[in-house]
Amino acid sequence: MIYTLFLVALITSACRKKLEEQPRSILTPEFFQTVQGFQQGLDAAYASTRLIWGNQDYFTITVIGTDEFKRGIDGNSDINVYSSAYNSTTGVINANWRNAYTFINTCNGVIDNAPNVPMQESLKKRMVAEAKFIRANWYFILVQFWGDVTLNKTFQNEPTTSAVRNPRAEVYDFIIQDLKDASVDLPQGLIKDVQPGRATKAAAMHVLAKVYLTRGGSPAAKATDYQDAYATAKSVIENRNIYGLILLPDFARVYEEGNEANAEVIWTSQHTSNLAFNGPNNSGIVNFSADNIYNHMWVPQYERQPGMIRSTQYGRPYIRCTPTRWLTDTVWGNKTNDTRYSKTFQTVWYANDPNTPSTYPKWPTPLPAGAPAGAVAGQLKFGFGDTAIYMPGTDRTNAQIAASRPTLIPPRLYSSAMGPYMMKYNDTKRANLNFPSIRPVIAYRFAETYLIAAEAAFRTGNTGDAVTYINLIRTRAAYPTGNAAAMQITAADINIDFILDERTRELCGEVVRWLDLVRTGKLIERVKLHNSEAAINILPKHILRPIPQAQIDAVTTGTPYPQNPGW
Amino acid sequence: MRQVMYSCFAKGKPRLLLCFVSMILFLNNLHAQSPVLVKGIITHQNGDPIIGVSVVVKATGKGTTTLADGSFEIEAPANGTLVFTHTGFVGQELKLTGTNQSGLAIRLIEAKNSLDEVVVVGYGTRKKSDVTGAISSVTEQAIKEIPAANLTQALQGQAAGIDIQKNGGNSKPGATPTILIRGSRSISATNEPLFVVDGIPFNGSINDLNQDDVASVEILKDASATAIYGSRGANGVILITTKRGKTGRPLVTFSSYAGFVKIQDKFPVMNTQEFSEFKKWALYNGRYTGNNRTYSSPNDSALILQNFSPEELQSMKTGRSTDWQDLIYKNGFITNNQIGYSGGTELTQFALSAGYFKETGIYPGQEFERFSLKASVDQQFGKRIKVGVSLLNTYTITEGEGANPMGQALRASPLVSPYNADGTILNDFVPGSASQVWNPLANFVPGAVVQARKRSGTFTTLYADVSIVKGLKYRFNSGIELRNDVYGEFYASKTTNNLGGLSTAQNRTNFRTNYTLENILTYDKTIDTKHKINFTGLFSLQEQSTQGNEFRNNTIASDDLQYYNPTYGANLVGEGSEEKWDIISYMGRLNYSFNDKYLLTLTVRTDASSRLAPGNQDNLFPSAAVAWNIHRESFFDVKAFTNLRLRGSYGKVGNTAISAYQTLGALSAIVYNYGDATTTGVFLSNVPNPDLSWEYTSTLNIGLDFGLFKNRITGSAEVYQQKTDNLLLPQTLPATSGVPNAIVTNVGKTENKGIEIQISSVNFQGKTRNSFSWATDLNFSINRGKITQLAGGVISDPANSRFVGHPIGVFYDFQKIGIWQATAADTALAILQGQTVNGVGTVIGNIKRADLSGPNGKPDNRLDATYDRKILGSSQPDWEGGMTNRFSFRGFDLAVFIFARWGHTIRSTLHGGGFANTFQGTYNNIKTPYWTPTNGENDYPKPNANNTNTPNNSLLGFFEGSFVKIRTISLGYNLPTSFLKKLGLRSARIYTTAEDPFILFSPFVNKYGGIDPEASGSSSSPSNATLNLDTPANWSMIFGLNISF
Repeated sequence: MIYTLFLVALITSACRKKLEEQPRSILTPEFFQTVQGFQQGLDAAYASTRLIWGNQDYFTITVIGTDEFKRGIDGNSDINVYSSAYNSTTGVINANWRNAYTFINTCNGVIDNAPNVPMQESLKKRMVAEAKFIRANWYFILVQFWGDVTLNKTFQNEPTTSAVRNPRAEVYDFIIQDLKDASVDLPQGLIKDVQPGRATKAAAMHVLAKVYLTRGGSPAAKATDYQDAYATAKSVIENRNIYGLILLPDFARVYEEGNEANAEVIWTSQHTSNLAFNGPNNSGIVNFSADNIYNHMWVPQYERQPGMIRSTQYGRPYIRCTPTRWLTDTVWGNKTNDTRYSKTFQTVWYANDPNTPSTYPKWPTPLPAGAPAGAVAGQLKFGFGDTAIYMPGTDRTNAQIAASRPTLIPPRLYSSAMGPYMMKYNDTKRANLNFPSIRPVIAYRFAETYLIAAEAAFRTGNTGDAVTYINLIRTRAAYPTGNAAAMQITAADINIDFILDERTRELCGEVVRWLDLVRTGKLIERVKLHNSEAAINILPKHILRPIPQAQIDAVTTGTPYPQNPGW
Repeated sequence: MRQVMYSCFAKGKPRLLLCFVSMILFLNNLHAQSPVLVKGIITHQNGDPIIGVSVVVKATGKGTTTLADGSFEIEAPANGTLVFTHTGFVGQELKLTGTNQSGLAIRLIEAKNSLDEVVVVGYGTRKKSDVTGAISSVTEQAIKEIPAANLTQALQGQAAGIDIQKNGGNSKPGATPTILIRGSRSISATNEPLFVVDGIPFNGSINDLNQDDVASVEILKDASATAIYGSRGANGVILITTKRGKTGRPLVTFSSYAGFVKIQDKFPVMNTQEFSEFKKWALYNGRYTGNNRTYSSPNDSALILQNFSPEELQSMKTGRSTDWQDLIYKNGFITNNQIGYSGGTELTQFALSAGYFKETGIYPGQEFERFSLKASVDQQFGKRIKVGVSLLNTYTITEGEGANPMGQALRASPLVSPYNADGTILNDFVPGSASQVWNPLANFVPGAVVQARKRSGTFTTLYADVSIVKGLKYRFNSGIELRNDVYGEFYASKTTNNLGGLSTAQNRTNFRTNYTLENILTYDKTIDTKHKINFTGLFSLQEQSTQGNEFRNNTIASDDLQYYNPTYGANLVGEGSEEKWDIISYMGRLNYSFNDKYLLTLTVRTDASSRLAPGNQDNLFPSAAVAWNIHRESFFDVKAFTNLRLRGSYGKVGNTAISAYQTLGALSAIVYNYGDATTTGVFLSNVPNPDLSWEYTSTLNIGLDFGLFKNRITGSAEVYQQKTDNLLLPQTLPATSGVPNAIVTNVGKTENKGIEIQISSVNFQGKTRNSFSWATDLNFSINRGKITQLAGGVISDPANSRFVGHPIGVFYDFQKIGIWQATAADTALAILQGQTVNGVGTVIGNIKRADLSGPNGKPDNRLDATYDRKILGSSQPDWEGGMTNRFSFRGFDLAVFIFARWGHTIRSTLHGGGFANTFQGTYNNIKTPYWTPTNGENDYPKPNANNTNTPNNSLLGFFEGSFVKIRTISLGYNLPTSFLKKLGLRSARIYTTAEDPFILFSPFVNKYGGIDPEASGSSSSPSNATLNLDTPANWSMIFGLNISF
């Protein structure tokens, strides 16, 4: 009997051990306290930048519904035109919001756990600075789009169903402190000496300048903001040799495929041709699709034109947006001197349908007046490899169009399916036609630093410096065929509209436009002027994004989560 | 007599008269004699012989029992009466006449709920009359009548209080339905009941059981019955007893059926004429140049020229229409074959059986196959020890489980041909579909798509019974389950999956072990013949561990390699998983009965679960039950009642049905690269929940069992109330919490109340094979579940669709009130509400939603998700019921099973929120009316090429889900005994069964073009009944044969 009892006791205590959980395939939050976990937490924070640069959700809230781009036939018709279907349940809005908070918490995990991690102090400091830099970027996005937002300063490691909105002034202060801290501990020297994608002091300073500039235009403005913005941007420019930054001589080289690590680039969000680490659906892994699909976004419906088929070279037509007539016809003015138009837009396509002559057009009988020499009625207008589509950028008569070998599309025939192609993100090296891009996305580049400096200088009344910086950019814009002298501006030319126009010419499509317009208070005015479909719907409330309904719904305890005014 | 008969049949017509005369003479002759030797065979209504039936000559007490082949011989007065009785069957009497003495073919009808029946309860068996808890039994016959692919399907509608629905409407071969016992409570990891096979918790898929091996199924519903399974019993327990050998002459059984499977109906999509008209409207409504329509009318020649290809125009002219569904459907094939051999001596009993099941789907490439082998041996050693072992081995192959060509077949334009000019399959995007829809026929090219799941498993149970002293028994019971699951997937480049891109392959393997060790002590004692005591004590340990891995790659060197060797591919990525949990339990149960009238059961179980947070791991679950056999009271003298029993129970059970490691929090992986340096980052995706605790359900159950008119009518009624506290549910947190995944937490309380009624009646009792019989089984249940409290005093939690006072998982959305019309009144209202009425974003022609409320509690002329959504319905039915009518006559039997579910809401992704009813016009659409500026259509919106899906499309998907369907009709014929004898058979039966042949009533089907409203959510959220747009519901017809010898 005693023996039995003993046996039972033995079994029981042995069994109790079985109740201790020891997971072997998952990592728990304690992992952040290890060296490896600390590093991998930072890697995840970096990975989150793919959810901004390269991601359609971020594209949608920055590129479309502006003076630059309007709805393409396959584009989001709610946000593009500010229709009443764009509201707090619009999925894109929630996606951006959710991404921000998930990865702010990742940064918080890295920063808060740092004291517990046994590693070399200097390296640790740098890594904390990198996390702060990324956190600042996320909060900067939040505060610009939504105004007052929840400010999580520390690692959230407990479930909560309540949340409050902190005043945007507080959020800006936090961002500025993060960037100041980061600029101290990030690598101070040449950008090319750090791993591609790693943040440097130059990146932190560039963003800091932009934050000051943006706060200066917001309800949380401080008197010193523009001055601070100017000083910060200027320091980046003045220390350009320390950072190894230059304006590339040729604008075309900046967005050249494969040249994403050029000396004008301050910071990128990385992608790779290694498909185990880059799409489709491998870029992010769990619940986060982080593919770079900017290569698809602007592609027009070229495949519907005679002689054309869909190809990897010309891209997959997502037709999400199409340039406004203001963008293609007006803002560049002289497209000969300003080479940036032709370097930003593709206006010529060569016939690529190998199945000659199935889709190729034939000359009618009789030949149209003015038909080129060699045209024969009933014969093909052009063949494989010849120019199939040409957008001359100026008007042509119907007779000229009829007499043209390639399909002529003058501006009056641009449609929501077909117009000049904004080609900065074109990718011909991806594995397959439908695949996402393998190119890193340039988040910040040196030319913008000049434009920030110019805008800040202008805002502080220092028009002279503003002119100087803008002329530097415009001089480069003339290279190599334009007349640089004719591109120069004077103090009389400069005003906030000119600065916005210059930003378009330089930064068209670089996922900043909507924010530029809000910062300068010009969103509603310019949308009404240049984007006719959005013009009839846009309202004052649209300068902020609605708080996602999912957020409001899930805050079930404490004060209800407030919506933005008018939404 | 036999000789006379034989001579009659053997000879020709001219001698018929003579025969007849001699027969009469013979019969007269018989009358004169007394007593006589009566011979006969007793069979079950399904034709199987019944062993051990008591045959007694009335008024003499002289009797015998039937042998293994159902035969008996007895001497009786020529005009005497024989009484046949057997446990579990309705008793029968037969008055002998001269004509029936030597070839009696008696048929007994199963009596449901007979009190003498022995039922399996947890850790033992009890006579039905001694049972105190709420238990529904499903007999072998009822299971056999529905030759389904798996046991769950066969149980559907057979017992009150079990709700079995197709998971997401999934009708694929090998799909397993969702089971809910008494409504839904916790829906975290699983809400499924615990399956216990031969006393051991069974963790395999229900597909791993061959229903031919099942002898009986008991469903434990109340706390008293389930409490002995402690934490694993909270969602109900289904006890399955498999067939074992019996003492007697070896019995060989063989059964086989085969038949076809067909779709119930095609999804209603548009043809060329309808779709071209629809597409024109979509383009007219959706194409704007600036803020003006691009086209002057739907028939604008520019519209037609710019948007229709020459091929499409040709089709419009000739009316040629491709019905893509016709091209992908085929008839499925279904077959099941089983051979069994069983028998035994007093000391050793054995049973062996082997089965093979196969079903092919209604598209090429879908297939489910099961091979099963079962063996059991029970051996007596000396007087005290009995040892038994049973092995259940299965191997299943599922092909094409992910196949769903609907996305292509329903969207492909009817205007274009699936073939090239030379007749080969156009292996490319279907023209006229914006390069999104790949020809669905591409997936049927041999070798293009492979989705193969191979599962093998063994489930081995071993017991040893030791009689220690009289009344005291020790039982060691153990079970080991090993499961392997290997999945491979390959898609060639030119398939709907890869759309001409890189070929892709995937491998997944999963290995799981479970073991259960139980030490059970039972003590039986009767004191003074009146006091019966039965005590059961248990110590058990259960452990499950799983491990799995998965790897994917692409650019496979040759399609022939499929998924087998990633060496010849690129971009390999992999993942792995591991999980282990343990439960340690002690249980004690005391049954006491006084004079067989008053019965008491007390149970206490403690469980310790590794899955909960330290400090919250242990818990105690007590329960008590009483029963009163009223019919045994002397004062109760109502002749009609054969029995009448009242039962009551109350108890508490717990639930830890969550995945392991939920209390710890978890990180997720995300990849990145710094230039060429690739890395895998980690971020917090699940937050630790150190307070995670047991969910408890307390159940009060009152039941009444009755038997009337010698058990010709039997039944039971149950009333229950369940209160669940600390409900374990996934909770979506606000994004600002920084936690992206829903976490499992104790969210609140729910209550389920219900009534269950089960009645069986023998309406016409035919005494012999040739007479007419009619029996009816009826079950009916009502369950009302609601959330009574949410954590933190929250009343409404729209992010998780949880609202106090309503069932779990209601449909919460805006209310559709029609379509915005092109009238001045509607335009004015739209403007007032801030709706866009001009340009491309105009709401005119779109779905119109009700302005229900506002910040001040009144409609505010604004549509806002915070104030204007409401609960549109829930998937909880008002009631559910099943009725089986069985008729037999002259060896034929007919069973018709009707199943109904009433008063619930379903969501159909065919209509709303899916890809088939987008109104974009770029793809084919389901055939609905649609709004045009002049037709005033108020149910469906305008086609609009500008919207990928019409705004608020989810509102088109809610429907009343009520239905009444004929689940099965089965017609069988049992060969007559005389004929069997010649063939040397004990029994033989041929039959045909139609499964799901008719839907008698369903507004969803009759009014809205749905196919089959039967749907549930997944097992992780069963209460969100959604009909996914997948394999259409099918019906089948089989022809079968069962023989034994």
